[in-house]
Parts: sequence; C-alpha cells; structure tokens
Amino acid sequence: MKRPTERGGTVKSLRQAIGLIKMGAPMHPIFVHFTIALTSASLVFDALGFFFNKRSLTAAGGWTLVGAALMTLATLSTGLTSATRAPVEEGEARSFLRAHMALGFIFYGLLVAITFWRMSLWQSGQSVSWVYLAALAVVSLVMTVQGYLGGELVYRYGLEVEQAYRELPEHDAGSPPPQLVSSKATPPPARTKKHGEAA
Amino acid sequence: MTGTSFIGLYAFQWIALLTAGLTSLLLADALAGHYRSGFTFRVQYAPFISGGLLIIAAVAAAVAPNVAWLNTALRGASWLAVASGLVGFGFHHYYGIVKKPGGYKWLLHYLMYGAPQLAPLALAIVGVLAVVAARGLAGEVSFAGLNMRAALLALVAVALAGAVLQATILHYRGAFNNPAMYAPLTAPLLAVVASIWMVVAPNSLILFALTILLWLTFLLGFIGLGMHLRGFERQMGGLYVSLFNLLEGPPAWAPALFAGFATVGLVTVRLL
Repeated sequence: MKRPTERGGTVKSLRQAIGLIKMGAPMHPIFVHFTIALTSASLVFDALGFFFNKRSLTAAGGWTLVGAALMTLATLSTGLTSATRAPVEEGEARSFLRAHMALGFIFYGLLVAITFWRMSLWQSGQSVSWVYLAALAVVSLVMTVQGYLGGELVYRYGLEVEQAYRELPEHDAGSPPPQLVSSKATPPPARTKKHGEAA
Repeated sequence: MTGTSFIGLYAFQWIALLTAGLTSLLLADALAGHYRSGFTFRVQYAPFISGGLLIIAAVAAAVAPNVAWLNTALRGASWLAVASGLVGFGFHHYYGIVKKPGGYKWLLHYLMYGAPQLAPLALAIVGVLAVVAARGLAGEVSFAGLNMRAALLALVAVALAGAVLQATILHYRGAFNNPAMYAPLTAPLLAVVASIWMVVAPNSLILFALTILLWLTFLLGFIGLGMHLRGFERQMGGLYVSLFNLLEGPPAWAPALFAGFATVGLVTVRLL
C-alpha cells in the first residue's frame, strides 16, 4: 500500500513530513557505512603513519579500528534483524543473501583478531609493520567483497527497498532514454513487457 | 595480580570475563534445545539458574578482583555450574539414550538426533575454568597439582576436544554436506595436541605452533558462525521463518565456543 503522498501529492507541511516517519526502518544500511568508513580509514591512517613516520596518524589508525570493531557489532545485529524481515524466495537473491550472511561473521572474526593485534602493538609500544598493513589490507578486501554482496542485494534485488515513489508516467526500465535530438527516421522504441504483465 | 595485563585487565580477569561470555553462548543454545523439547522437565531450567549466577559472579569478580566475598561467590557459582553440568550430562544420557526405544542398540542414532550428550559437560568445563579464574584472582598459583598455565592449557585441550567430538557427530549427521564442515577436525584438533604437548613438555617451538593454531581456531569459530547462519538461510523460509529455523537448524552459537576456548588459550600463552 502506497503512502498518502504517493497517491498524488507532494510534501507541503511539517505535519505531513512527520506523518511519513516510519518506525522500524532498516538500520543495517546506516551502520554498514560506519564499518566501511572506520576500517578503511584505519588502513589509510596506518599506511600514511607508516610511510611518513607520523605517530599521530598511526594513533588515529588504532582508534578508528577499535571504533570499527565496536560499531560492527551493531552492523551485525541490524543485519540479522533485516534478514528476519526479508521474504526472499529461493533463487539468485537468496544465494547472495546466504553468502553475505556467512561472510559477515567471517569478516567480523578477522576484524576482532586484527584489533587485538593492533592493541597488543599499542601496548608494547611498537609501531605498525608491513605484515600488519598487509593483513589489514586483506581484512579490507574481505570487507569490500562483503559490501559488494550487500550492495547487490539492495540495488539489484531491492531487498528492504519499499519502492514507494511515484514513477514518471512514461517510465519503462526496458526502453532507452529519450533522444535529445529528434529524428523522424528513427521509429519510437517498442515497449517491452513488464515483469508479470500479461501477454 | 598474576601475569601481565592487556588493556588494563590481567589474565584471570580476562578468563573470568571469557567464562561469562562462554556461559552466555551455552545458555543461548540450551534455551533453543530445551524450548524445542518443551521444557518437559523442570530440571531443564537448572542450567539457566546456575549459568545465570555464574555470569553475574564472573563479571563482578573480574570488575572487582580484590573483593573477597565476590571471589567466594564466583567459586560457589562455579561449583554450582560444574554440578549442574554433570547432572545435565546424566539427564541427557538417561533420557536421550537409555530410556529411548532401542536404547544403546541405537546409540549412533541417539547421539546424532537425541539430546546433545556433551553440551552439559561444556557448562561443567566452563565452571572449572571459572574455579581456576577465582583461584588465580585470589593469588593462588596452582590447581590440581599443576601450575596455573598448565592447568588452563589442559582445560582448553579437554574443552576443545569435547567441542570437536560433538561437532563431528553433528556434522556427520549433516553428511558433511559442505567441505567447511570438516573444519573442526583441522586446527582445533591440532590445537588440542599442541596444548597437551605444552602441558607435558613445554618448549618455544610448540608454544609458537600452539599460538598459531589457537588463532586459527579463533577464526574458525567465526567462520562456523557465518556458515551456521548460512545453514539457517538454506532451510525453507530462511531467517524470515526465524524461530522455527532457529530451533530446527544447526546450533546457532556452538561454533563460537571454539573461538571462546581458543581465546582462553591465547590469554594463557600471552599473559601468564
């Protein structure tokens, strides 16, 4: 069922906007950004600190990694919540979902392990090494694959996307975009059949 | 306080916190199993009482290691958990095998499909770990005739061996349908051997090997968590039919026990 504004109007007042607030919105897409940003920032800070010998940058790298390990707990738990609300049939999307769920915990295990490693380096007063940076790069690579799988779930399969916007009247996903220069010689594109539409 | 500290906590504080975490994982799986069987016996609530007390006492003793009465409370809760685990083992054995049609003649069937035989013993071993933690927090240097380091490594070996055995039975039930189901038979099993070796004849080479194996076991715990989650998702409806699949699927938190016991081992080799 579409929301009131999608039945023909636009949001014109604060009251109408407040009426659009929906509790229980998917939180997983919010938290994943913290995980991705903090982990990759840690790699960048540590690498810069290592190459330019800046202790302040390596300190920032350490704290961002600790932040990533903590925030990813929220990412995991909201991801599980999202999975319990996803009525996905068996098929391609479900395969992506399974891989995304399995890889999530694997990534978290790697993240926790490298965080402990980072904290032991900090405690013993040592700086980061090539080996550590390489390991963190591997963790970031796993995170990238995990993020790609999640992105596919949302942008290809529309998981937890409500699709409550109004479509343009002539919009058709199968048709090419309108031509900027009109050409009488080119016939109008044939309308492709929508999914589920009767022949 | 014995040993060295890591981010402000000493070895036995870490072990007390880890026992609390391990107990939480055990109780989560016990809740699923006992709920599935409908809490037929009142005694099925016992692990939640003893385990709950152990969690509270372990966290309190780790936070305030110098408070004597908290240490005493941890010892009491630990022995209660040990007793509860042993009684649970008896119940699982009697009602899960002996009293079932066919009894021991159908042993393999009931090992696979009956109450998990070794699960209550996991609570008992966590209870013993908590006893060691309490003694360590009180400044004692030995347990059962072994120094604390050797005692903890022996306990880690026993705990991991039990976890490997239980996982093997259940993965056999699952026909090892995924190659990853052989994982508990790799690094964790070698970690058991290396732990025992460290107890009997400690040397730096074995210590290095044990450290690597414990890290691998730690990571395997998380891989197991992910794969068990994938197992839920492979069932009809996946997590969308969450309660049903949670009860009928693989034990959700069991792989994390590998990570937990490995962490106890890592704390022992690094901080003691």
